[in-house]
Amino acid sequence: MIHLDDNLTLTDDGAVVCAHCKTQIGENSYEPLAHAVKRERPSRAAGPGVHADPKTFTSREIVLRQYFCPGCSTVLATEIVPQDEPSFRHWSLDAKA
Amino acid sequence: MPYVIGVDTGGTFTDGFVADHFGSIASAKSPSTPPEFSVGVLNVIDELAKSLGVTTHDFLRDTSYIVHGTTSTLNALVTGDVCKVGFLTTKGHADSISIMNAEGRYAGLDPDQIQNMSRTNKPPPLVPRALVVEINERIDYKGAEVVQLDENAVRAATRHLIAQGVEAIAVSFLWSFRNPAHELRAREIIAEEAPSIYVALSSEISPRIREFARSATTIVNTQIAPRLRGYLIPLEDELRKRGFEGALLVMQGSGGCVKAREAPRHAVSTLGSVLTGGIVGCTNLGTALGHKNIISTDIGGTTFLVGLVVDGKPVSSTSTVINQYTISTSMVDVHTIGAGGGAIAWIDQGGNLRVGPKSAGARPGPACYGEGGDQPTVTDADLVLGIINQDNFLGGRMKLSVDLARDALESHIAKPLGMKVDEAAAAIYAIQNAQTADLVRKVVVNSGRDPRDFVVYSFGGAGPVHCANYAADLGASEVIVPLGATAAVFSAYGLASSDIVLTVERSQPDNFPPEPERVEQAFARLEEEIKAQLQEQALPFASISFEREVDMRFTMQLAEVTTPVAPGPIDENAVANLGKTFEEAYASLYGKDAGFRDAGMQIITYRMRARARLPIHPELPHFEHGNRRAKPRSTRRAFLDVRRGWQDTAVYDYRDLGRDDRLIGPAVVETPTTTVALPEGCFATLDQLGNMVIRYADVV
Amino acid sequence: MPLIHVAGSEKFTFRERSVDELRALASKSVPLHTVDAAAEQAVDPLTYEVIRHRLSAITDDMGDALKRMSGSVVVTDCNDFNAAIADETGDLILVGQYNMQLAASLDMAIKWTLEHRSENPGLHPGDMFFCNDPWIGGGLHQNDASVFAPLFYDGELFAWSGAVCHQVDLGGVSPGSWSVAGTDVFWESTPVPPVKIVENGYLRPDIEDMYLRRSRVPKLIALDLRAKLGANNVAQQRLTQLIDKYGPRVVKAVMKRMMHDAENRLRNKLRSLPNGSWGAVAHQDSARAGDDNIYKIVLKMTKHDDGLVFDFTGTDQQVEGFINCTLAGVRGGIMPIILTMLCNDIPWAPGGIYRCVDIISEPGTINNCTFPAGIGKASVASAWATQNAVSECVAQMVGTHPQHRKAAMSCCQGTWDLALLAGVDQRGAPFVTMLCDPMAGGLGARVDQDGVDTGGQMPIPMGRIADVEINEFSFPMLYLWRREEVDSGGPGRYRGGLGGSSCFIPHDSPLQGVHLVVSAPGKALPLAPGLAGGYPSATSYDVLMRATNVPAMLGQGFIPGTLEEIDGQHEVLPSHVETDMAASDVYFTHWQGGGGYGDPLRRDPQEVAGDVASFRVSPRAASDLYGVALKSDGTVDTGATEARRQELRRDRIGPDAA
Repeated sequence: MIHLDDNLTLTDDGAVVCAHCKTQIGENSYEPLAHAVKRERPSRAAGPGVHADPKTFTSREIVLRQYFCPGCSTVLATEIVPQDEPSFRHWSLDAKA
Repeated sequence: MPYVIGVDTGGTFTDGFVADHFGSIASAKSPSTPPEFSVGVLNVIDELAKSLGVTTHDFLRDTSYIVHGTTSTLNALVTGDVCKVGFLTTKGHADSISIMNAEGRYAGLDPDQIQNMSRTNKPPPLVPRALVVEINERIDYKGAEVVQLDENAVRAATRHLIAQGVEAIAVSFLWSFRNPAHELRAREIIAEEAPSIYVALSSEISPRIREFARSATTIVNTQIAPRLRGYLIPLEDELRKRGFEGALLVMQGSGGCVKAREAPRHAVSTLGSVLTGGIVGCTNLGTALGHKNIISTDIGGTTFLVGLVVDGKPVSSTSTVINQYTISTSMVDVHTIGAGGGAIAWIDQGGNLRVGPKSAGARPGPACYGEGGDQPTVTDADLVLGIINQDNFLGGRMKLSVDLARDALESHIAKPLGMKVDEAAAAIYAIQNAQTADLVRKVVVNSGRDPRDFVVYSFGGAGPVHCANYAADLGASEVIVPLGATAAVFSAYGLASSDIVLTVERSQPDNFPPEPERVEQAFARLEEEIKAQLQEQALPFASISFEREVDMRFTMQLAEVTTPVAPGPIDENAVANLGKTFEEAYASLYGKDAGFRDAGMQIITYRMRARARLPIHPELPHFEHGNRRAKPRSTRRAFLDVRRGWQDTAVYDYRDLGRDDRLIGPAVVETPTTTVALPEGCFATLDQLGNMVIRYADVV
Repeated sequence: MPLIHVAGSEKFTFRERSVDELRALASKSVPLHTVDAAAEQAVDPLTYEVIRHRLSAITDDMGDALKRMSGSVVVTDCNDFNAAIADETGDLILVGQYNMQLAASLDMAIKWTLEHRSENPGLHPGDMFFCNDPWIGGGLHQNDASVFAPLFYDGELFAWSGAVCHQVDLGGVSPGSWSVAGTDVFWESTPVPPVKIVENGYLRPDIEDMYLRRSRVPKLIALDLRAKLGANNVAQQRLTQLIDKYGPRVVKAVMKRMMHDAENRLRNKLRSLPNGSWGAVAHQDSARAGDDNIYKIVLKMTKHDDGLVFDFTGTDQQVEGFINCTLAGVRGGIMPIILTMLCNDIPWAPGGIYRCVDIISEPGTINNCTFPAGIGKASVASAWATQNAVSECVAQMVGTHPQHRKAAMSCCQGTWDLALLAGVDQRGAPFVTMLCDPMAGGLGARVDQDGVDTGGQMPIPMGRIADVEINEFSFPMLYLWRREEVDSGGPGRYRGGLGGSSCFIPHDSPLQGVHLVVSAPGKALPLAPGLAGGYPSATSYDVLMRATNVPAMLGQGFIPGTLEEIDGQHEVLPSHVETDMAASDVYFTHWQGGGGYGDPLRRDPQEVAGDVASFRVSPRAASDLYGVALKSDGTVDTGATEARRQELRRDRIGPDAA
């Protein structure tokens, strides 16, 4: 078993599970977030740290894109990016635990 | 009253030294007694009385001064046992003490720690945010009022802080050193609201530009002053009960002392109290021996302190770092490097042999102490190499085990590296010598000087074992090992031979050249302050001398250089000379043409120092043993030099030696307090005070 | 004008060469010293440690010399410089703990010089070379001026020493050489490929003049040049003494072994980590004044066995602006992260460390641009963005290891918030300065604790800022405040370190105001992402307030504490602006903090209460992001907190979830 980060564990049989509620997020470490729930909201949903409406600076829509555990809603990944871009923050392990 | 006493509180031992003005001296050591350190102080005084053959009462009755080096303020800071302080500062700048100019995250850390960036942290806040209150007020760079003081806010802040249970209030407003009016008025108001509360003003504690250090210094001073008072007052009372009628003086980091009653006013200056005795000892011994340029190396079991004496005066810095906070206080520049005799030898992840910086300390100590330490240390290597003697360590007071040393070296170093134990010990010895030379050289070079112009003084239990090697590596002309009367208690001797030193300063930044009148006025003001403080000492001084200096810099460059100001009235010539002196000092520190003259110069801070000489100074007795032709007590195989390996080495006992002896390496001299190693290529004699003088055969 | 390739500029591009290739390319008239593997094996532990320690001391001395002599605030106050020792073919053995980006480009300049200058004009004892051409190396943009020198011993080229510092101004259209309106390198300071500035021990006045001629502050630049010469002289003297004592064979063997040692230890560490790949993206909003595009650097880092491959495929093409960087910038983005997160317990011998790294990057992209793309801002633009992407990938990789995870940090301060001031000071002298307050950036959260508030910056482990009083003494300004900024650290179970803000008004300027150049991306979106679900830091936020009532307020005894309290025309500044501040104008600059780590709903509510009490987190953020409810006395309302967190969790997988 490998503790991948604060929220994700790689089990002995190669699945990726939520460290808090053990829900399986991915069957394997190549698509570790396959079953994560994805959600996008305007970037200002990230709170007062986003000081100004992005429209002040850009014509592109900027979103808060997050991935959650379907079991306990723990947020597994967060990024603030232009909406018209795919996520580049994909990772995978060649792992046999 | 003939006696002068020096008492130095150390982590393990409290050292005492007494001299009278007939030339008699005595020394004593007593275990330190934390947390009530004063008990150890009183104990060592009893020991001194015993060795003079008098009662403690008579002894104290006949004592003019006791000079005390105390760790009480440092301990208070380090353990967090400080008084609860509230902090008032200019609106908009409460975070100055948490931002810490960003460098607070790593100040004072060594390179290995800095490299491990993710594990660095700022220290805990000096004052919790709830106890910091911002006040509407503002003074600008020229001392002009930009925003008047909100007096109601000060009242409200005082009430709030009192309700939070603060014991004292520190006030630090921007530019207060240029114009203290708001701080002074704030204190008046606080006094009206809470008459018994102690108030410290940054314009009085540390009137120097750079608000972060000024605030930190003011707060820290306020936090530790009551602890210092709480330590010194009962101690003084007890001494008086026991018959003491003289003056209790406290050592400061500046290398001079101050009356105990006045010490809490500048409590921060006592933070370096126990570090400076050694340097003062070197300075004064140097005067007796005719050495003006000295590298002081104090190597104990746990620490390794390096300081410099140049032209007969200790090299000082104007600030220091404690717990990663920058504290502005004139400190003799003592560097803590390496880990002393307890430095642990280890193998790093790359399979390389390393020595230090971790130390086995005093507990459990080196493996050979038999106190449960299993890590091989420099002392263990010294033992295995035959340099120190398991039966005659510290005059036989402590028995060492060669077997334990060999075991530790074998399992941790020799076996993993595929070496023999002897080889491992030799490697550790040589690495320690080379590293010591590197670290000491860095201190000397960073002060702009060349080690070859210096004499090395080596003391502390572990210093003399290695000094001949690292001094040679440095290129020093000779090494002095203080022995004789001061041997075991060199720092306490330093304390007993010190003077009252008071320092006052104030920043008044200006482009250079300033109007001569402004300079005169600045110094006149400082002189008034310092004379008042001298009065408050209420001691009979043999003489008083004043020194003036300024901190100057080239406009665009970081480094301020402390520049002495010649005595006499300040006119345009004097100011011009000051500029020249600054440029010369700058060039000698940083290289010719290092100064960006065309950007101009600035004068930043004015400082005055008063050195009030106390009437009694210990005269070290002359070493009487002439006409000895000492024979070695024994011979043993020892390894003193990597190039020469194991050799038959003459072993002398210090007590057999006389003025006419000339010991030629390879040899070892065992003394009650340390061991001196003399590799081949050097020779040693005793000087008129019984100190060992080591010189090198190929140096004339 | 669009960027059109300049024929003839190809020569001035660093090309990776193997050691054997480089030896073959170097002139026959420059014999290169070396030792074989046997010599390296033969070094005993004692000798190795003594010489290693001494070499480290020499590098320290070089750094000390630079710091003391320089007149540049970025050197003396911000530690934006570095010094290094390299072996005979330019592989770095040691580098100082200063600006680590610069550690990744000195070797490039040395190797190019060996290849292109060893024949003509040749390399001789007493020579030193100057270079500020980032396509060749030495630094990341033209402000990074390097001086490096070959060390000869017994007629052979034994090693090199090098020093590089950021210079305040080396020409170009705008002061400070930050040409915010520039579209290509011709707006900027002209890059100078390696030129022999010291010949046979003597500084060549003709070459020096050619260098100084381009600067607005030539005397200051001349001083810094001497500082670099001095640092190299120190290194050369001390190295020669060392070789005199131990002999060239032994000293070189130690040098080679230091690099192998670092390489082996890094490979061992990599082997202990899982194989895999990690992807990241780093954005930059705006390439120059008036541009509102957002550009991306894409990274896929792969670890297989004991090596790392950094593949930047997918990165945007280079742009018309001044934010591009050269290959030196890619290397300069990778090196600081490798040093701090992977080599935190390994000696910093870059020559060995680099052997574990492969880079896939297409020339012509924004972080590997070709001439004449504008690079004036490279070091804090595309190189910094590259570093952010590398930081994410490496941190995630080490985060999987039970011990090494402690070396990881979420992304530190996402970018530099530049404010450059120029004008006439209160004493009547002209000045140009960069405000270094943003040096106090927030560091990224760690796997087991918050990030350090206003702790510094990732690439410079020993950064610092000047006291307010020093700035007010040196320049005609008055600070209304300088503080840590609430909510600027990325929310997470462990919070990112706070960034800060400074707010000031011109004060006593004979011109009644100051010239202001602002360059700060990260406004449309924050640039310091979090990890493990942690949120990014706050965005950069700079506001220029015109014709304010602040002078009147001060006169009435009141210092404003918020922007809302300041009347006047508020301009939220775009990324790049050059303008003038009048006497009653106020400038507010808020720089970024660090990214968070973990789910903020998992942060200990007591910690959140403490954050609110110490103004690190606002009550609103406490409720909306951390789900913590506080009673009126500031303590945690446990029941309400649990309810709030449940509510927020339900809300997360809301109706518009995918």
